[in-house]
Amino acid sequence: MKSRIGAVLFTAAVTAAFVAPVALLNLATKDRVAENQELRLKRGVLEAAGLAVPASDADAAALFYFRVQRTSAEPGDFYRIMPEGRADGAAEAADAGAAESAFVIRQEGSGLWGRILALVGFEADGLTMTGLSFLEQGETPGLGARIDEEWFKAQFRGKRGPFETVPEGSAAESDQFDAISGATLTSNAVRDIVNAAAAAAMAARAGK
Amino acid sequence: MADTAARAPGAKAPGAGNNRPRRGKAQAILLSGLGKDNPVFAQILGICSTLAVTNSVRNTIVMCLGLLWACSMSNLSVSILRKRIPSRVRMIIETLIIAVWVIIVDIALKAFAPEVSRQLGPYVGLIITNCIVMGRTEAFALSNPPHFAFLDGVSSAVGYSYVLLIIASIREIMGFGTWLGLPLLGDWWTKWSIMTMAPSAFFLLAVLIWVVRGAILKEGRK
Repeated sequence: MKSRIGAVLFTAAVTAAFVAPVALLNLATKDRVAENQELRLKRGVLEAAGLAVPASDADAAALFYFRVQRTSAEPGDFYRIMPEGRADGAAEAADAGAAESAFVIRQEGSGLWGRILALVGFEADGLTMTGLSFLEQGETPGLGARIDEEWFKAQFRGKRGPFETVPEGSAAESDQFDAISGATLTSNAVRDIVNAAAAAAMAARAGK
Repeated sequence: MADTAARAPGAKAPGAGNNRPRRGKAQAILLSGLGKDNPVFAQILGICSTLAVTNSVRNTIVMCLGLLWACSMSNLSVSILRKRIPSRVRMIIETLIIAVWVIIVDIALKAFAPEVSRQLGPYVGLIITNCIVMGRTEAFALSNPPHFAFLDGVSSAVGYSYVLLIIASIREIMGFGTWLGLPLLGDWWTKWSIMTMAPSAFFLLAVLIWVVRGAILKEGRK
């Protein structure tokens, strides 16, 4: 009996001794991780809007500040992209009456392993895509996770849905995009996300 | 007391080796993981990660570095505590220690290299379940002093690393035409899709084990 209590106490002591430093490390890096995530979101929105994303974090944040207006009043997290040439003031403060601006929608879907969070960008017409970027995806590294590669995301620019997937390398029509060989389910998930985002975009515009 | 039954190859009995000169034994430990006690092709450990990450050399390198850290630090920690761990909870303690060291890597990646963390995603956490780490703490660290346990951790990780890098290089070159992302083969090469998928790693690993055990490890193995 005594040895059992001893074992339990020992385990508790070792747990406390080892977990405490990890908890402290987590605490110490929490802000940094949150900052990274926020920056990731900003870069994602800029990428989905088809804008050239600056390499430096400060420049990217500045570009976001001037060009992107967050309007969470609309469904699906909506980012309005202000036209170029506005040198004064944050995009947030601009008049939201510009109903004809390009925009980016945050769209969620189910991938092979878990949820995929995408940012889908559209021109002011709500049909032609400006770009695609991923906030979160847990697909198979080296296979499904390749949806995050430049070539894959870039193929959506200028195209309009509803999309269908075709084998890698054979996309010809403007409503087709190359799936990733060996990652059929993930590619289908992306197709569904993009089509759902387009439908949401239409609904949002119709509601104006 | 550590379990005396069914010890994995390469483990030393408690108290053994005391009469050998220190440097010779340290060297022997460092080299053992590279050759005759290689965790992948001799002990057949760590196979799941071998199959999973080797479709990209870059991911493989990060995985190997993560394992190097986890294995050496876990071996060190378990060895320091080895005389006090009650045998009935030794696996719980080992798992806890391994998990802590791996989580530290995970947090560090998320904070300081978020791109790499996103690329590797779940695989970093899976280092905790890599049998090599648990296998070495159980087989070696529990019955050897800290400095030797640390060296054994390093040796196992390095042995694992070069095997993985060989497989990853073959898979990435044949499957994508690149190595570490740099294009190597031109358009003339038809990419072998199977090389990007797990089954290819099965075959490559099997062939590698066959070659090594047949040609190199002939002596002393039944």
